[in-house]
Amino acid sequence: MSDHRRYRIGIDVGGTFTDFVMAETHGKRLIFHKEASVPANPAEAIAQGIAALLAQEGAAASQIDVITHGTTLGLNAIIQERGCRVALVVSEGNRDVMELARGRLPSSYNFRLGREKALVGRRDVFEVPARLLANGRVLRAADPAALDTLAAQIAAGGYDAVAVMLLNSYADPAPEATLADALVQRLPGVPVTASAALWPEVKEYERALIAVLNAYIHPLMAAYFDRLSQYLADLGVQAALYITSNNGGTMSLATARERPVDTILSGPASGVSAAAAIAVGRIDPARVHLLTFDMGGTSSDVSSIIGGLPEIAQNSKVGDYPLMLPVVSVSAVGAGGGSIGWRDAQGVLKVGPHSAGARPGPVSYGRGGVEPTITDALLAMGVLHPGRFLDGRMPLDKHAAKAALGTVGAGLGLSDSAEIGRAICGVATVRMATEITKLLAQKGLDMRDAQLVAFGGAGPTTALLLAEEAGIGTVIVPTSPGTFCALGALLADVQRDFVRPCRMTLAGDDADAVAIDAIIDTLRTTAEGWLRGEGSLVQAQEFSVSADMRYPGQSFEFRIPVLDAAPETAPETDRAGALAAAFHAEHQRVYGYRQATGGVELVNLRMTATGRLAPVTLPAQDPVDVDAAAPETRQVLLDSWTEVPVLQRALIAQGARLEGPLIVEQPDTTTLVLRGWTAEADDAGTLWLRRGTGQEARA
Amino acid sequence: MKLGKITLELMHQKLRACTEEMALALSHAARSTYVKDAADFGTALANLDGKFFAYPAALGVSGFLDLDCGPAIAAVAATGPLEPGDVIITNHPYASGGLATHMPDLQLIKPYFHDGRIICYGWDFIHSADIGGGVPSSISPAFTTIFQEGLQIPPVRIVRAGQINTEFLAIYSANCRVPEVNLADVHAMLAALTVGERRVQAIVARHGVETFMAAQADLVDWARTKSREVQRQIPNGVFDFWDYLDDDFNSPFPVRIRCRMTVRDGHVHLDYTGTDPQVASAYNVPTGGMRHPWLTLKLMHLVGSLDPTIPLNFGLFENITVAVPRGTILNPVAPAATGVRAATAVRINDVIVGVLTRALSGLIPCPSGGTVVPVVVAERAEGTGNPVLSVIQTLVGGTGGQAGMDGIDGRDSGLANLYNTPLERSEAEVGVIVERYGLRPDSGGAGQWRGGMGLEMRLAFRTPGTSVLGRGLERFVFRPWGAAGGRPGARCEVILNRGRPDERRLGKIDELFVAPGDTLTFLTAGGGGYGNPLHRDSALVLRDVLAGLVSQNAAQAEYGVVLDGDAVDSVATARLRGERLSTGQGHGPDPDFGPERAIWESVFDDRIATEFALRLQGLPVGTRQSVRQEILKQVLPRMAEINRIGLAGALADPPAQKRLLRQLIDDRLPPLSPADAAWICSS
Repeated sequence: MSDHRRYRIGIDVGGTFTDFVMAETHGKRLIFHKEASVPANPAEAIAQGIAALLAQEGAAASQIDVITHGTTLGLNAIIQERGCRVALVVSEGNRDVMELARGRLPSSYNFRLGREKALVGRRDVFEVPARLLANGRVLRAADPAALDTLAAQIAAGGYDAVAVMLLNSYADPAPEATLADALVQRLPGVPVTASAALWPEVKEYERALIAVLNAYIHPLMAAYFDRLSQYLADLGVQAALYITSNNGGTMSLATARERPVDTILSGPASGVSAAAAIAVGRIDPARVHLLTFDMGGTSSDVSSIIGGLPEIAQNSKVGDYPLMLPVVSVSAVGAGGGSIGWRDAQGVLKVGPHSAGARPGPVSYGRGGVEPTITDALLAMGVLHPGRFLDGRMPLDKHAAKAALGTVGAGLGLSDSAEIGRAICGVATVRMATEITKLLAQKGLDMRDAQLVAFGGAGPTTALLLAEEAGIGTVIVPTSPGTFCALGALLADVQRDFVRPCRMTLAGDDADAVAIDAIIDTLRTTAEGWLRGEGSLVQAQEFSVSADMRYPGQSFEFRIPVLDAAPETAPETDRAGALAAAFHAEHQRVYGYRQATGGVELVNLRMTATGRLAPVTLPAQDPVDVDAAAPETRQVLLDSWTEVPVLQRALIAQGARLEGPLIVEQPDTTTLVLRGWTAEADDAGTLWLRRGTGQEARA
Repeated sequence: MKLGKITLELMHQKLRACTEEMALALSHAARSTYVKDAADFGTALANLDGKFFAYPAALGVSGFLDLDCGPAIAAVAATGPLEPGDVIITNHPYASGGLATHMPDLQLIKPYFHDGRIICYGWDFIHSADIGGGVPSSISPAFTTIFQEGLQIPPVRIVRAGQINTEFLAIYSANCRVPEVNLADVHAMLAALTVGERRVQAIVARHGVETFMAAQADLVDWARTKSREVQRQIPNGVFDFWDYLDDDFNSPFPVRIRCRMTVRDGHVHLDYTGTDPQVASAYNVPTGGMRHPWLTLKLMHLVGSLDPTIPLNFGLFENITVAVPRGTILNPVAPAATGVRAATAVRINDVIVGVLTRALSGLIPCPSGGTVVPVVVAERAEGTGNPVLSVIQTLVGGTGGQAGMDGIDGRDSGLANLYNTPLERSEAEVGVIVERYGLRPDSGGAGQWRGGMGLEMRLAFRTPGTSVLGRGLERFVFRPWGAAGGRPGARCEVILNRGRPDERRLGKIDELFVAPGDTLTFLTAGGGGYGNPLHRDSALVLRDVLAGLVSQNAAQAEYGVVLDGDAVDSVATARLRGERLSTGQGHGPDPDFGPERAIWESVFDDRIATEFALRLQGLPVGTRQSVRQEILKQVLPRMAEINRIGLAGALADPPAQKRLLRQLIDDRLPPLSPADAAWICSS
């Protein structure tokens, strides 16, 4: 039965574990695996995990077709300031582009908070007599002698990488690229990143920052990719290797080497992609929007999936730095399992923002933590079982957790440590619920149309507390919530975003349509050229185009989809007119008015190019007779101490309908089902938790 | 406190989130660019007295936390009790008792009912695009009365029992230049108040009205306790400080703000007696003579910095009392114009920093560059008579140094914390090339912890018929000062064609016409330095020199650091520093205001300036400013030429000028009241 089996593997590297999901594509099976991470050499854990999976299957390395891998190496290097020494080359007069950033300080209240850390010092910024005007015309170009001097300075400074940002290079990336090439020739072996080649969008600080971030992690990521390739080659793996990207897609190793900045926020993006994938065909995306709820050790992240598509942000953050690249929008909404419960000087109960993280971790980990965390609270309440956390690999010390909770209890009028734990969970839950409410208010969406997809180690444990508080009626728990990001990597298609500035005021004549079509053609040519280089496994190609538009004088844009992305199919349609009409309509919908006179400005055209890989079909779960498992119970503090049945997830039969209160245990998480809720497993093994009717949404 | 310590935190989270939800709804739907770009809006929940018990943490304007809706509510309630569905509107700086502080700020208040009685009020405000008056967007520093500043709306009902007053809207629309924008804004504000109302009802339904009412009081108690704890770090005592606006725009004479802070066990009293009379321009700050956000902002920053966990409500201010005499620039009498009151607020901040520094050096950072200037370029548009206006950049100075931390270069969150404008956006809008936008070396006050550097921006013009507006420029005369041995920051400058034979130092500009080929350079003030520069870590001095922020000359002259190539010559440095310390460098005046203030005070010392201000108070409000200017014109006949001759030129003969001032005060002004005389004697 061996040779016809083919495999695809999704891998997510976390701080503690490296998660694997392997799909056997013909047999439609998923195989899950966890390997202890090797922070000093993440590629080692990947190689070990793949070897273990192959051994388990009795398969050969040659049977693997695709490996898709998400890494937070770049992100961690940025947050922990472990990137390389970067020289930044800018136009004359722009030396302080990184010093000034966008002029804001982190707080209006707190004068002790400084500005963000400098990725490049002022001393590491070099001005060259080269710059463009806003229309792309070259005002000054650096002569070879100036370039020789510059290269000599950079060489003398011993920099590991170079970033180049000329003012107005977004309007024409060519002069900046020429300058970058000239530096490459003069500085062999030093990677040079040109800002507009990465992302040609207006705003010099944000563009310079993208180039600097790319350069900052370039040597580190290149070395990692080389090491990984070597490990895989040693295993005999010939599979195509893809790296997950910020937009929820993947890209080839070659692209990731050139553009490591596209990988930095890919971790959470993969989870969101997976959430979108497991709901396909099971909810009506026109009616229901999904909120993902990923509760990890230090924080909880939420993102939204509207109309079946993960929401994309154009201005997110990496640490303290604004990121102008399109990324799957993820917001931190509050506490994680390691967030600490404490009382302020007036005795008021607070949770976070401090977290015990993974080290020392919660008190119950027994690694030196002394302040009680959410995990300790859930343990004291009986929701978590001390012997079954992380499949028993992390025995929890319940006595220590209760003792630590007790120290917080004095003055709260509570003596029982479980009640203190419940109060801590309550405070954390209210905070998260208010953040989610605001998130939806910002988008003009209604909580009653939202369903929550809970994953991460602690997501399913607290999801129903959150749903109760926020007034959400359905919570979805995927089969393997602890390896959900690896599943997202497995399911992702090749995808990359492209942008071109336009700066035209639509006059409504044919010239507009011609100009727009010309830019779309350029985008498409570029995108097709890129997709051709992404490997032979890419099947169908898809291109979606959108336009950033505004009324003259507005300082923000609306993103309007351009519905017909293939100009040749409908040359005579009035594309410009249709775009303007769509913009007016969107403005009317969001702001309640439209501006008839003065025209509409087209600022950028964007294209998302997708190369579909062969789809992975999620397997159906084999039916299991629920009666086969002897019902176990334990005491859990809900509204009061309650005897709650405990079920093993693997033994829940497809289609079974179970009434809460209930605890569902599985190796990577524990799901708490409250009274008044029902749990139902679908044919893919996903648990659907629904609130019984008659209960009103709460404040 | 009545509520348990768990319920209190839950209510804290929910009520703050309620105001944040209102803020998101408002900013989502409002149209004014002030709302969209600058977040110049606010939302809150007010108690039955009209004071805010819940406020957003990071949405909208942070500084209005201590506003008071009480006077506006009382004015409307006096015409008949408030009913469910009523909404109050006002923009009147005087009739609202300082709730609105300039007229583009529209203020809405809605009573929220439960079982037929009011349980709290929802409040929101926006800086609207235009409220009529003499110039587009309704603000000019030159205006002298609110009749020039647009449509005055005393507190009235805009909505009565759910029915919007369409006649009011008709009058309102007819008085705005962009009525469709303004109406959209009003609807956005009403919608946000409804969002808040629904959320409050849901909270009451969940927790009960008793808990809701108790939470209002407990949240305030909680903040009051916390701010008292922080303010106990201020030593007991009486502390005086004053600082100056360079001028009031319409006349060339400096305007003084004076404060006496009395501290007792965490209670702070701010007495602004001795502050100059209200001005005949738009710099007046309407406070209603009560404790007011503009008068206490820096104390809020102190408390927020030393205890970031404090719940945001008016309890934060409950350990502060204020006295501010009527008819001064900080408590003007109607109809004094108030459009650019924020420029004065910057200096109030510096004065509060001053009294706090007097009380305990190092408690709070030294003053920042003290100026916020939108540099606007106007080009003639082809075809139409209207110019194209573009904000090229909003310039600020650096922040001040503080114990343990340098000031921040080229940024300042003290008043507004605005975003700057990408140069690529500015250059795409008008025919201006921004040749340089960066830090101004050597401008931050030297210190063990130096002041942040100011900014340098050079514009080159290409289009005929271009003019530049730089309203709000300040700190051309008086510097951001240094403390504890730290040095003051450099002053602002504006220079036409810098480095060319036709270079001209312009001083402040209002509207400047430039020709193609001209360049214009703006240099903003640096923040004040903290601590003796001779004690600055020489490695930090070296770092600044290598970064091009401190010149080699300044390293040696100000910091006593001798460099040998790219390294510190530690032997020479130790010797030089030793010599300087033994001759007393760094033991100069504290604070160090720089030479200009000493020149000014050689005539206008605190004693006579205070007496001058107090005796002007004896005149009717309407004549104070004109009499003041007549006297000053006689004492300082060349003050209008200050850009050319400098302050020393205008005060060329201090003894004679001081004698003349004394004589004019005695001749022209009523005598001091016994109370005022006693107040001066206590100084």
